Amino acid sequence: MNDNQTALTLADLSFAYPSQHAILRQLDLTIAPGERVGLIGPNGTGKTTLFLLICGVLKPTAGEIFLFGQPMRYGAFRPEIGLVFQNPDDQLFSPSVRDDVAFGPQNLGLSKAEVDTRVMESLRTTGTLDLAERPPHHLSGGEKRMVAIAGVLAMRPRFVIYDEPSSNLDIRARRRLIRFLQAATETLLIASHDLEFILEVCDRVLLLDGGRIVADGAPRDILGDPALMQAHGLERPHSLVPHEIPHHR
Amino acid sequence: MLDLSVDEYAHLNSPLHRWEIRYKIAGLLALIFAFSFVRDLRLLPAMLVVTLALYLLSKLPWRYLAHRLEYPGFFILMLAVILPLTTGATVLFQLGPIAIRAEGCLSVVLIVVRFGCILTVGLVCFGTAPFLDAVRALRALGLPALISDMILLAYRYLFEIGTDLMQMRTAMRLRGFRPRRPDTETLNTIGSLVGSLLVRTYERAERVYKAMRLRGYGHGHTIRNELRTRPGDVLAAIAAGLLAAAFIGAQFYLNR
Repeated sequence: MNDNQTALTLADLSFAYPSQHAILRQLDLTIAPGERVGLIGPNGTGKTTLFLLICGVLKPTAGEIFLFGQPMRYGAFRPEIGLVFQNPDDQLFSPSVRDDVAFGPQNLGLSKAEVDTRVMESLRTTGTLDLAERPPHHLSGGEKRMVAIAGVLAMRPRFVIYDEPSSNLDIRARRRLIRFLQAATETLLIASHDLEFILEVCDRVLLLDGGRIVADGAPRDILGDPALMQAHGLERPHSLVPHEIPHHR
Repeated sequence: MLDLSVDEYAHLNSPLHRWEIRYKIAGLLALIFAFSFVRDLRLLPAMLVVTLALYLLSKLPWRYLAHRLEYPGFFILMLAVILPLTTGATVLFQLGPIAIRAEGCLSVVLIVVRFGCILTVGLVCFGTAPFLDAVRALRALGLPALISDMILLAYRYLFEIGTDLMQMRTAMRLRGFRPRRPDTETLNTIGSLVGSLLVRTYERAERVYKAMRLRGYGHGHTIRNELRTRPGDVLAAIAAGLLAAAFIGAQFYLNR
């Protein structure tokens, strides 16, 4: 598959913070357009760091990153990729929901009419139209998450990264998010400890540990492998535990 | 949750509320400048009449003004006590070593009336519009984008900082911390609390900045919000400007 056919290509990607040990080591990865990839691994393994590298916020120590065939330069603004942060309060920085969702399109230099169109479209897609005039600090956790997603979608990205999207969501909000992501048409890369969530949304899973991708395959194969999961500090999701093995109290 | 209540009366319906915010700021700031220019006591009644008329037109409740005057009022009260005892040569009244002087009393009258009028007009200006509209208007009037962005971010995240502070204080209380007097241990604990809050705030600021950059901050053009202007807004601003000019002109005339 050449770079023009891929959404994301990582070639020998490495990264270490100054005076610290390497967090990512010689990663090679290719994601095709339309794929929905889950990224799992223990805490501190570099998932968020990888996302910031892909988005050009951090500069690789070595290797290259290509986004839709174009090299990703450190500090560049590429609206075709969006990142939904783990804590929505970190990216809901405008005084109202409407202002926040409009932030990205305004920075694209669009006309006021086009900005308004995109804002309405994104709010409608995420089911948050009635929150438009509310200040972010008045929203519930689930509402903040969907508004943060709306803010990213307003830039019409082709690739969206989600960092722990189901964390701190109640059951209803989580289920709403799953349905939303199942219907999404963008290329997705989702980091999550919620393995049932990964099973429902993703069609491919990467296991990241020790700075390397140690497994890459179908979700049921990766998540259902007890030895693999245990070796990397994880457990199989409950739905993949055969029920002839007694595991309930 | 932290409650700043900055917009508690911003959505009333009065001529001052309907006055477009840019012209309101320009007109009333001109008036505030003119008030600060006044030195002649004969202009004080006119200042009071204008101020009272503006406040009545704004339909803001009197308790709003009283509440906002509380803290600055203490400072003015100190001046009101000190100045008559220390300023001037004409003694009005003497009790032992304490002499009440006429010039000091007149200075107090000037300072108190000017302070009251300036603060009241300022409250009318910014209390009759949502805080965010005021920041947008200041930006439209030439406030640098970086400063207006900082104001908006500070406003947005003040609530988060307030929430963090309350949660940390609750956690401390649940572990037995009861500050009774400012001893070394208490001050150390409060210092640690403030330090933790600062560090967390700084780390959040870094994350927020990354989020802003990822959505194009600093890479493109930001559209100004289009504020709708009516002829009445312009006329009101001109009237306020003329009134300000009248006060300044009167001050020059009376002082010639």
